[in-house]
Amino acid sequence: MSEKKDIRILAYESSCDETSTAVIRNGREIESLIVATQIKSHQRFGGVVPEVASRHHIEVVSQITKEALNEANCGWKDIDAIAVTYGPGLVGALLIGVSAAKAASMATGIPLIGVDHIMGHIMAAQLKDEIEYPALALQVSGGHTEIVLLKDPVHFEIIGDTRDDAAGEAYDKIGRVLGVNYPAGKTIDAWAHEGKDTFNFPRAMMEDDDYDFSFSGLKSAFINTCHHADQIHEKLNKYDLAASFQAAVIDVLANKTIRAIKQYKPKTFIMGGGVAANHGLRDRMSAEIAKLPKADQPKVILPDIKLCGDNAAMIGAAAYNLYNDNQFADLTLNADPSLELPYAKSMLN
Amino acid sequence: MKILSVSTATNHLSVALNEDQQVIVEKNERDERNHSEHLDPLIEEILKENKLTLNDIDRFAVAIGPGSYTGLRIGITTVKMFASILNKEVVGISTLQALAKGVKEPALVITGLDARNDNYFAAGYISGDIPKNVIPDGHYKIDVLIKAIQEYAAQNKVDKIVFVGSGLEKQDEKIKALNIPYEYGTDEQNVIHAGLIGQLAIDAQPVDPDKLLPRYLRRTQAEVDWHKKTGKPFEPDSHYVEEV
Ligand SMILES: Nc1ncnc2c1ncn2[C@@H]1O[C@H](COP(=O)(O)OP(=O)(O)OP(=O)(O)O)[C@@H](O)[C@H]1O
Ligand SMILES: [Mg+2]
Repeated sequence: MSEKKDIRILAYESSCDETSTAVIRNGREIESLIVATQIKSHQRFGGVVPEVASRHHIEVVSQITKEALNEANCGWKDIDAIAVTYGPGLVGALLIGVSAAKAASMATGIPLIGVDHIMGHIMAAQLKDEIEYPALALQVSGGHTEIVLLKDPVHFEIIGDTRDDAAGEAYDKIGRVLGVNYPAGKTIDAWAHEGKDTFNFPRAMMEDDDYDFSFSGLKSAFINTCHHADQIHEKLNKYDLAASFQAAVIDVLANKTIRAIKQYKPKTFIMGGGVAANHGLRDRMSAEIAKLPKADQPKVILPDIKLCGDNAAMIGAAAYNLYNDNQFADLTLNADPSLELPYAKSMLN
Repeated sequence: MKILSVSTATNHLSVALNEDQQVIVEKNERDERNHSEHLDPLIEEILKENKLTLNDIDRFAVAIGPGSYTGLRIGITTVKMFASILNKEVVGISTLQALAKGVKEPALVITGLDARNDNYFAAGYISGDIPKNVIPDGHYKIDVLIKAIQEYAAQNKVDKIVFVGSGLEKQDEKIKALNIPYEYGTDEQNVIHAGLIGQLAIDAQPVDPDKLLPRYLRRTQAEVDWHKKTGKPFEPDSHYVEEV
């Protein structure tokens, strides 16, 4: 029996405010991961400034290419494919990764793979454990809140998404009201654990029988509560505010996701995206799934906390599946800032 | 020496292959909004037609700025990666000097790229094989640029000025008031030619590919506003990016 050759992928990610490279073996093993974050820069402005982001990406991209190869102890000859996020994201930012990956592919003759950033977030789970299909993913990040059905490693379908703000965006916006600098999610999560759900914020669309979300009402209710208190010079407990906000977010996410699991009966449940690092959400989803009848319980894969935010390792993981499916890109690959996974038929009306 | 040069600084895309001083081939795509889609295929086409690979190139050259920020980054990222991976030399050439090189007759060449609202990325060069910079590459309000030209002309003999680039005709009244014979560049002169970048690249000093960065000549509005509001100094860009 001949042993199957290892497949090594060098991956790039530059869709927002992290420039990252990684070498991933067989879609599962992180041989190296470099993440250059620009958070400190954008904190000056209270949020990501696209032109500043693009300027930082180009400053580091060639350097971190070498670092990823060195750390993985390999050279170009060991690389089977070069993968890159080509959307969604900030167009100027995406273009650095795309231009670098294409140039690297041209210079080395190594094939190129374009990866959807959201497919990447979801595939962070593959770096933790083996995904059995069909699988169902709750994708919660700065720009996306979606329930995604994974028919196989390369065919994903959105069965529900947010009609307005994404969950991470809502965290960042209410964080600003509480004086927490961007990205606020982690701090709000920590505060939430110190407080109690005393404000009873609305749980929008929770009882609707679709899988869509809405967070702008919650955000407004939160902001109004804070403004009103300000006006009457009342000081609200920030821990209780955080706990109340988080409870509302988690209730809606958990409720709808569990209903989707009951309907679609996936073999694996996955979480992906920056908000998948939320401890409250991770605990709640695990607990809710444990309450299902044993036979209906999918295997749960929660990616490592450090792989929830943007990184190239997840792009390399997703690219491995595309590699096996022979989905290669050519040198005309362009950034697509509004790239979207396909919607399920039930969503197209 | 084989030189491959690229300009993505404006909406005009240009790629050329030079052998020493000679331009072997230059290919241009005008009014192109999609440099990302077209640049690499154009490079590949030129290499194929000349039966070369990237590895046969001795030196890469690129319009380093000023120009469209996004455009510049596409070309610079591309050659930076080529040079870094293939261990080849890379040089950045001023977009404005490359424009000036299109003018052959003796003249003061004012090269400018329209930056909207009467602003220009502009400079002054004395025409020649290697145009000599006399008004530094910068971001100028038109009145400031006109003043710089006046000051230069007051101290140096200027028989003729050629205005090359984009959006300069709009300023004809102010230019006329300089009272120096002038003309505007031809359509050919008004676009950036990679072949000329390749020629300028011969005498340019190669740089570390990792340090090859666009010369934007302007901070972002967000940084300027932040600086005004907080009074805090700008740190070197590298201080704002951390490996985690
Ligand atoms: N522990 C946490 N709890 C809640 N939110 C969090 C936590 N940690 C990070 N976040 C949020 O995650 C978001 C960042 O996630 P991510 O980097 O995946 O988003 P993005 O890349 O900006 O957007 P997208 O991936 O949708 O294009 C931020 O909004 C941040 O506040
Ligand atoms: Mg992301």
